[in-house]
Amino acid sequence: VRVAVVGSGLAGFTAYQTLRRELEPEEIAVFGLEDDPAATFRRRAAAIRQRQMRSESDGHCLPTTFPGLAFRSAAARRSPAPLVGTLLDRYHPTVGEFLAHVDRLRARSGWDRSFRRARIGRVRAVDGGFELDGHGTFPHVLVATGHPGLNVPDALRTDPRAVHSYEPHEYASTVTVVGAGLAAATEWLNALDVGAEVISVRRREPVRRPLNAPREYFSRRGLSGFNRLGTSERTARLQSLLAPSYPPGRVFDEPLARAMMEDRFRVERSVNGTQQVICATGFLRGFTHDPLLERLVGEHGLETAGGWIVLAPDASVPALSDATRTLALAGVAAQWAFPASDTLAGARFVAHGFLRRIRSCRTR
Amino acid sequence: VSYTLRGRVESRLAAVLLVVAAACVLALAEHKWWPVEAAGLMLGVGLALDIQVYHPLLRYQPGWAALPLGVLELGLVLLLMRAAGVAAPVWQAVALFGGGWLAAQLLAHAAFPLLRLGYAEDGGELGHLGAAAALSVGAVLAGAGATAYALRPPVVHLAAGVHQGPLVITHREVLVGEPGAVVRGGIVVRASGVTVKNVTVVGGENGITVERVRGTVLDGVSVSGPTLDGIHVRLAGVVIKNCTVDMLGNTLGQGIDISYTMDMGRTMVEGCTVTGGMEGITTHSSMTEIMHNSVSRTTMRGISVTEMSMGMVMDNEVRDARGIGIWCNDRSMCMIERNTVLDTRPDAMGHAFGVLTSFQSEANLWENQLGANPVASAAITQSEVQSGRSFSYR
Repeated sequence: VRVAVVGSGLAGFTAYQTLRRELEPEEIAVFGLEDDPAATFRRRAAAIRQRQMRSESDGHCLPTTFPGLAFRSAAARRSPAPLVGTLLDRYHPTVGEFLAHVDRLRARSGWDRSFRRARIGRVRAVDGGFELDGHGTFPHVLVATGHPGLNVPDALRTDPRAVHSYEPHEYASTVTVVGAGLAAATEWLNALDVGAEVISVRRREPVRRPLNAPREYFSRRGLSGFNRLGTSERTARLQSLLAPSYPPGRVFDEPLARAMMEDRFRVERSVNGTQQVICATGFLRGFTHDPLLERLVGEHGLETAGGWIVLAPDASVPALSDATRTLALAGVAAQWAFPASDTLAGARFVAHGFLRRIRSCRTR
Repeated sequence: VSYTLRGRVESRLAAVLLVVAAACVLALAEHKWWPVEAAGLMLGVGLALDIQVYHPLLRYQPGWAALPLGVLELGLVLLLMRAAGVAAPVWQAVALFGGGWLAAQLLAHAAFPLLRLGYAEDGGELGHLGAAAALSVGAVLAGAGATAYALRPPVVHLAAGVHQGPLVITHREVLVGEPGAVVRGGIVVRASGVTVKNVTVVGGENGITVERVRGTVLDGVSVSGPTLDGIHVRLAGVVIKNCTVDMLGNTLGQGIDISYTMDMGRTMVEGCTVTGGMEGITTHSSMTEIMHNSVSRTTMRGISVTEMSMGMVMDNEVRDARGIGIWCNDRSMCMIERNTVLDTRPDAMGHAFGVLTSFQSEANLWENQLGANPVASAAITQSEVQSGRSFSYR
């Protein structure tokens, strides 16, 4: 086995599908605690009662954008509607469709033959590759450990009313939702749906855009300029690109406008005396919250900037990758190379770069 | 896709490769160059828009945008084809474009992403495939251009002086008369693809006879003193421009007679001066554009479009005809615009019309100067005249 993926979530799973184009399951080792690649996503989507994906037709785990989920849905439903929707950028697969897609891929790709249940706490560069915490040495390693944890504001950490949006919860009759991203917007609607009075607490007005980042940042068009930025400019650009956002459209606007007229939805600056506080505040940011990455940086003296590990444009770690070995990061840890790396398209981007490096490796 | 400039160009070139291949096959099948010329124009328009318009304006191009952009490109291609004189059947050209557009969509949305893992994230760039596509398109178009160059008809120069005719042309060629070159006894065109340029013809049964051939061009010819017609066209495709036909003294022959050419596509008479003869310019069962000509002193009609012809008669001057200046007759359809008809003389029955539409014909008259005639215009025997530009014979 010459290739290892550390992390068995969706980013690791997407990388695995790309690797499978050229490698057999026995040539890939996937390390993780859960063999279901969608387990974490499934729990979080259920917690916020998410029914539709924010991603579009190409928000899947396959190595190529075609055939996308719209094409598959059109074939399954025998209806052109999904294809028309995707032409208009209005097709969003349901969470159910996406999870079924993951299950199908898992069954047919040999994922379970590659999966090894183990927590990798340390990745150490050694001669010929990377030693993974006593599980062997691999020339090519992709670290896809995912978000390091849920972010709860300090002031609410000990508040008994507080729950994170990605933790299972019901809704009280008066609810404060902290945050301004898609999870917050979804929680506003969820709480309003069950008749609650909702207060939105946010530091800034939410950005309205269809995807996590502007579309040009999903291709070389935006990325080439992004990659040319100096360290401080790139840090600032990332902070602005990663500001909370949710998609424009009537799905959100109409219920919120109606609730405002009924005086059941309002915006406030700080948390007040509602019965429940939902923290739709996303995830902890920065490699320092991920023990594996923090140790990797510390032990190898890797370059960092503003909480991000500095990466090459293909998301490999420059100091530890050469013609004979590759260490690359996927998922949220790869934002330095691809701002929307915590999306499925981002996972695919990193996977393509990782496979390219394996292909070009002299000792492969 | 958020295309990079290189991605746009490479995707365009790779997609147009199919169109160019189809155009070459069509050109071989039809023995015509218009498909290759049209494909070249499609590529040129597409690349120009990619570089000058799409790349600066469209940071992201949603799928639906392909439709209006395709319509824009089609319009520009058709306009340029018309301006460049590419003689393409419109619907075939539209079908070629439409097929190319559809192929481009299928390639961009399905085939390219399957062929190249990072097609979308690379902004449409195709790597080696893009370079190969560019080379292939260049090679095919250069090959087509070289072939067209090699297949040009030979140019035959007719020296100054009098050459005894009739001169019979039996091979595709361009016959160019040097100043002072005269053919006495007429010219007979018996091969397709012949161009006769700057030649003076004197006498002969017909001055120039074109029969059962395609693609004849008569440019700058001068005809005088034939026994029958000045220029006599039967069952042939012809473009006649900048000619002079002197029929004075010939009371029965026609200046230019184009008959039974409907199956040969549109014929054209443009920029000619016809003097004398029974009719100046006449068409029978033909589809002809008669434009910017001057016709005078005929013994009967100046211009006639008759016997189920379709004709566009525009910007002509007809002077001193007898009976009828411009005649649309016998179930013909005529678009008669911006002509000037002066001094039409009464015929033996005492009739003199600027424009007459007769025997179940349809004519559309627009902005003609007909005042200086005994009767400006009339429609008789179940014919119909419309005024305005709503009529089209296409």
